Amino acid sequence: MSTSSLSTSSDDELNSNRNPNPNTKPIDDELSLASITLTESNGNGSVNVNDQNACGQVEVDVEGPSSPTSSGYAGERGSSSEGTSNSRIDDDDEIREVINDDGFVDGVRDARAAPWMPGKRHVDEDDASISWRKRKKHFFILSHSGKPIYSRYGDEHKLAGFSATLQAIISFVENGGDRVKLVRAGNHQVVFLVKGPIYLVCISCTEEPYESLRGQLELLYGQMILILTKSVNRCFEKNPKFDMTPLLGGTDVVFSSLVHSFNWNPATFLHAYTCLPLAYATRQAAGAVLQDVADSGVLFALLMCKYKVVSLVGAQKASLHPDDMLLLSNFVMSSESFRTSESFSPICLPRYNPMAFLYAYVHYFDVDTYLMLLTTSSDAFYHLKDCRIRVETVLLKSNVLSEVQRSMLEGGMRVEDLPVDPLPRSYMSHRLSQHRLLTDSPERFRESTVGIGGPAGLWHFIYRSIYLDQYVSSEFSSPISSHQQQKRLYRAYQKLYSSMHDKGIGPHKTQFRRDENYALLCWVTQDFELYATFDPLADKALAIKICNRVCQWVKDVENEIFLQGASPFSW
Amino acid sequence: MPSRRRTLLKVIILGDSGVGKTSLMNQYVNKKFSNQYKATIGADFLTKEVQFEDRLFTLQIWDTAGQERFQSLGVAFYRGADCCVLVYDVNSMKSFDNLNNWREEFLIQASPSDPENFPFVVLGNKIDVDGGNSRVVSEKKARVWCNSKGNIPYFETSAKEGINVEEAFQCIAKNALKSGEEEEIYLPDTIDVGSSSQQRSTGCEC
Repeated sequence: MSTSSLSTSSDDELNSNRNPNPNTKPIDDELSLASITLTESNGNGSVNVNDQNACGQVEVDVEGPSSPTSSGYAGERGSSSEGTSNSRIDDDDEIREVINDDGFVDGVRDARAAPWMPGKRHVDEDDASISWRKRKKHFFILSHSGKPIYSRYGDEHKLAGFSATLQAIISFVENGGDRVKLVRAGNHQVVFLVKGPIYLVCISCTEEPYESLRGQLELLYGQMILILTKSVNRCFEKNPKFDMTPLLGGTDVVFSSLVHSFNWNPATFLHAYTCLPLAYATRQAAGAVLQDVADSGVLFALLMCKYKVVSLVGAQKASLHPDDMLLLSNFVMSSESFRTSESFSPICLPRYNPMAFLYAYVHYFDVDTYLMLLTTSSDAFYHLKDCRIRVETVLLKSNVLSEVQRSMLEGGMRVEDLPVDPLPRSYMSHRLSQHRLLTDSPERFRESTVGIGGPAGLWHFIYRSIYLDQYVSSEFSSPISSHQQQKRLYRAYQKLYSSMHDKGIGPHKTQFRRDENYALLCWVTQDFELYATFDPLADKALAIKICNRVCQWVKDVENEIFLQGASPFSW
Repeated sequence: MPSRRRTLLKVIILGDSGVGKTSLMNQYVNKKFSNQYKATIGADFLTKEVQFEDRLFTLQIWDTAGQERFQSLGVAFYRGADCCVLVYDVNSMKSFDNLNNWREEFLIQASPSDPENFPFVVLGNKIDVDGGNSRVVSEKKARVWCNSKGNIPYFETSAKEGINVEEAFQCIAKNALKSGEEEEIYLPDTIDVGSSSQQRSTGCEC
């Protein structure tokens, strides 16, 4: 881990001046995309291909470098900067009228309200419905012949006309030897991703950067590959009218859960995974038994708690991409049937080998903790079952499962616990916090710290270790306690991430950005990326000092929060 | 994705400009007819749910523009069609003569796997005009041509009066469904770790 530190005299610092002249105003008609006209009466979309606008407004996202005083946000253009984020407390993908369905009322979490419900909603809608048109973020998957495969909202078959319109736009541009990547229409962005015979489209007015939306489409495609492999391409080669929907039957819930995770799971844009905090010895014990079964012909063995890794081990030379882990855990967690019994299912890891299936043995030890054993052999079920029994015995004997439960209850790093004074390492290395009360329920803890946050107005941070492909995110605490506030913060991080990684205007080392919601500080080195959120009134020099301390803190507890090279094959 | 299995059929409507493609579609989908001519620009898309032999399926109808300047759109529009409807005006010999061009153009652009047996349906439209007195293409002539192209089903229609429109589209749906019946077999491989597994260069520590 790096020992570099951030100084106030950094030259790369970007000012957070807002763009004073947004070049587009939000328009009234929410879905009047470029040249598409949606006929109100019958809801059929017609594409006006002879109109030169069809070409003229197809904007291949080439943005000029930002001026030195601009925010440096690639996706910022076209949004009215003043007040958008402030007034958008209902910054959900849903339209306002249905906010309450989600159980979130104006930025305040209503504990009694129903949580996010899995599965597709609003199936009765189609492109003629006003409510459908007002949804803030649509995702579509269709075939290259214009047949619908998936739509986030509405019934795919009723949207067949809309789907055909999308195909016509993509194919029309392709006919001219070009590719359509992005269409801006008022405050909507239409992002296209072509993957052979599969077309993916996102229509969004969430002001997320193009790169983020495109990344989300890539994940959506990856999720489809995880379920079916790329062999579906062969079906389209033989038969362009091939209808994929029957093959994906019952997987709505997997896609909608992934789309939901774009709002709350930083792994979706950081391309890194996160670990459940555990004592080094506990994780070692779990790793050892996983290594044991990996040596008996298992390709990958993963022990996870929800979306967090307890330990994972791969066979010699095999390594797992964080995106594959995200898609795999999403698939397992969103499919209710995995919870009810031990399962054996074909799955494909798109980053490992998109062409072929592996077989996953999945077993839940308790409601959150599950074991996944991946193999290439389709008749390995009983062997893997034996492996699982072995793993379970060891985990119980060494108290790993109870430690996992305890860690779940305790949560991870809290900004309130950031050590104020540098302490000797030996003192720090055993506990994430100096004064954690094990008996405290999360609720009581939250109550006791309302309005406090960390030192110098530190509200939250994410630390991503580039070397380990892992990140650690602090627990949310007041003042970022509501679902809406958390989602807004993730969106801000997402913007920060894509602006820091924008090859056109970057690379940058640091960025300090202040708006009416927070002061954000991002710091990228060869070894890590740090994203920190402060009170909007926080002092910059002090914030920088705090960031250095966060890095030191992370370093002090790295054995607990990261999966270190437990396996002998690692380095 | 629908939980209950439903089929989606892509239907392309082709023919010279002004023969009544859009009117036929509007009559079929919306039960409406307008005397005003409005040229289709590029293509219009309509969907209609149809029940056929206890199965529910959706027709995705691609109503294309007849003008020649739109024909460069070919491949994109024709790809993956389940049925192609050729329309002519019984009062215009030229529109009938052009059926051959439309059919061939479609087969070239869409390049279906079995062009001999690709389902076409031919519609002779506007039989209501002038009480049939201005008609120049006889039913016999049309049927001869259809038979010579592999027994293409033929209907005489009037979009204005709604004559034979429902019947024609029933036939279109039936034929499209038939051609969709031969399913592709989806058979993915399993990874062979020994030979070809792809590794990631910058790895995590597993």
